[in-house]
Amino acid sequence: MDYFVNVTLTGLTQGMIYSAFALALVLIWRSTRIVNFAQGSMAAATTFIALALIQAGQSYWVALIVALASGFVLGAIVERVIIRPVEGGPELNAVIVTLGLFVAIQASIAIIFGSSFQSFPTPFGVRGLEVGGSTIPLTPTSLYVIGSVLVVMALLVALFRFTRIGLAMRASAFSQEVARLLGVKVGGMLTLGWGLAAVVGSLSGLLIAGGTFVWPAYMDALIVFGFVAAIIGGLDSPVGAIVGGLILGLALSYVSGYAPRGSALVNISALVILIVVLLVRPGGLFSSTTARRA
Amino acid sequence: MTTIAAATVLSTVAACGGSDDSGGGSAGGGGGGENEASDIGVTENSIRLGAHYPLTGVAAPGYSEIPTGVQAYFECLNQAGGIYDREVEFIFRDDAYNPTQTAQVTNELVLQDEIFAMMGGLGTPTHSAVVDFLNDEGVPDLFVASGSLTWGDEPETYPYTFGWQTDYMSEGKIIGEYIAENFPDAQVGLFLQDDDFGEDGEAGIRQYIDDQIVAAERYTPGNTNVGPQIAALQAAGADFVVGFNVPSYTALSQLTALQLGYDPQWFYSNVGSDPTLVGGLLNRFSEGQVSDASLLDGALTTGYLPTVDQTDNPWIQEFQRIWDECGGEGELTNYRVYGMAQAYTTAQALQAAGQNPTRDGLVEAIETAGSEWEGPVFAPFRYSEDSHMGTSGMSIERIVGNGSEEVQPVRVTDIGDAPIEEFDREPATPPANAIPDEESVVD
Repeated sequence: MDYFVNVTLTGLTQGMIYSAFALALVLIWRSTRIVNFAQGSMAAATTFIALALIQAGQSYWVALIVALASGFVLGAIVERVIIRPVEGGPELNAVIVTLGLFVAIQASIAIIFGSSFQSFPTPFGVRGLEVGGSTIPLTPTSLYVIGSVLVVMALLVALFRFTRIGLAMRASAFSQEVARLLGVKVGGMLTLGWGLAAVVGSLSGLLIAGGTFVWPAYMDALIVFGFVAAIIGGLDSPVGAIVGGLILGLALSYVSGYAPRGSALVNISALVILIVVLLVRPGGLFSSTTARRA
Repeated sequence: MTTIAAATVLSTVAACGGSDDSGGGSAGGGGGGENEASDIGVTENSIRLGAHYPLTGVAAPGYSEIPTGVQAYFECLNQAGGIYDREVEFIFRDDAYNPTQTAQVTNELVLQDEIFAMMGGLGTPTHSAVVDFLNDEGVPDLFVASGSLTWGDEPETYPYTFGWQTDYMSEGKIIGEYIAENFPDAQVGLFLQDDDFGEDGEAGIRQYIDDQIVAAERYTPGNTNVGPQIAALQAAGADFVVGFNVPSYTALSQLTALQLGYDPQWFYSNVGSDPTLVGGLLNRFSEGQVSDASLLDGALTTGYLPTVDQTDNPWIQEFQRIWDECGGEGELTNYRVYGMAQAYTTAQALQAAGQNPTRDGLVEAIETAGSEWEGPVFAPFRYSEDSHMGTSGMSIERIVGNGSEEVQPVRVTDIGDAPIEEFDREPATPPANAIPDEESVVD
């Protein structure tokens, strides 16, 4: 029984991390209709900026704010300078550009910050909490991760559902021409969307890094799992991203914990889960409409 | 081919005449013959060696320091005249611990850099990807930095490949015997890397304590969530955990155990136990909760080489001098000591291969004389025509702070069901400047 609880809680924590990353993907998809493969290395870049500040003696919170701000700037610059020129062409062009960007940013991190394996601090504890005399694998750090992800999700839902800016962003992403005719400043909205997505991405990068180890490619595995989580959830639903992440985290933890040689089966299982979900609900679990394409 | 060789000789003669008169002079006198470009990668005044290491990525911590140790040793060796007045050139390339990249960089080393021999290529999965290629090409593949049995147990399959460090099976046997003798009531859990490393170690350890083992959990390198595996060891009631894992997974297993409130006696195999490295990785978490190497304090491990904390060991003193004189930035670390010790054995092999070495002659030299070489490694190598296995002995140590203290002196064994024996030979002392002086054993 204890074992089941341990495996479950480990899976939930891990799932929240996938959710954090999936949220960033959902945000950029909703606001620009582009799948951004560079999201992971952009988040890694800002995480390394934060690490450099912490190593220079700044507090975690200062580093967090600087990382989020530089995430916004980085996202906006990427949109203006790199994505904008290819935006008018076929959809695939922009996606391929983000793939190139993914490699380029990762290489730049290695050049600037070195490629060694380093520990990333967390403002909260890494020991499991004591509940009724026994320790459960839920640390203050994992509570911080879970709390932050839920807050970000709520903010995103509010942004898209209740604000004019959110509506304008969705309109710009959905159909640029119509939005422009209705008076929406489409260019600005796209830049804003990239900037905000990069902020959420940076936050997820920092949450994932806290209390564990980072190196320039540390987001690679999470990119895959984050994508799977986002697609399970339907790619345009913030709630779906959270649920997708949790389903994936739990399922992978059970596979790892209960299947023979489970650790080796984790990656394959992620693919199996993805295929099953897509077979049953091609649009993902939380897709609002079917086959809505711009 | 002939033209290329001739061209190389010409260019090196020119270079030699310009800068290195005294060295060139003593070469002719000392060896009794002329230095010749006797094989690929050997010129009149240089020998070129190559290697692959993970300089980036998840396996890089620690391991990326090894080539800097090798380089420092060869630098000092070259300043003292090299091998038969040949300078040793050492070219190493980054494979990021990714077998695909290992294949690529090894191709470059062999075909483009035209190395004479490989030396110290690191990693089981990585080196497995190139061992066939190297043997097909007839490139001596010295001292693979991995304890897999593959490198030495079947010399007829891989005639050019040699192991160096204690193999994982022998290590597992020595650990198993120690637990059986000293912790007969322990419920043992195994934390294993899911490849040859974990398998060989498990096979060795089960020879002695099969009935004490309550769980064997395997992790896949790259999957950094080991929560379910550590939780399973805890659930099985293991109060003594033996890890056959790489250093980053020592850190991950310690962090996960903290989360689970799990506190068994830990025993990390040699590969994963460097206290400075693991402590360095763990020391920045959450003010005061995980400080310095204290998490590893009291953990057991094995040793086959002196470590940097043993400042009164004459080998460490020599290596420290070499690092100060010929090394780069940073401190002397155990990984750099490992690199220097491998470079020392390589120097022995090159000397034994004679004044004008060939690739086949180098292999013959190691098979003929290698088992008699003394050096920083505690126990002798097992090299012969029938075995290319490296050293076979290990001591057992307890980690205290950033160092360790011996709890059981060196014992030696071999793969399979060979017995474990105590080993009472006096430790070798380093020759002058830590430069070996082996006679040529090749005609």
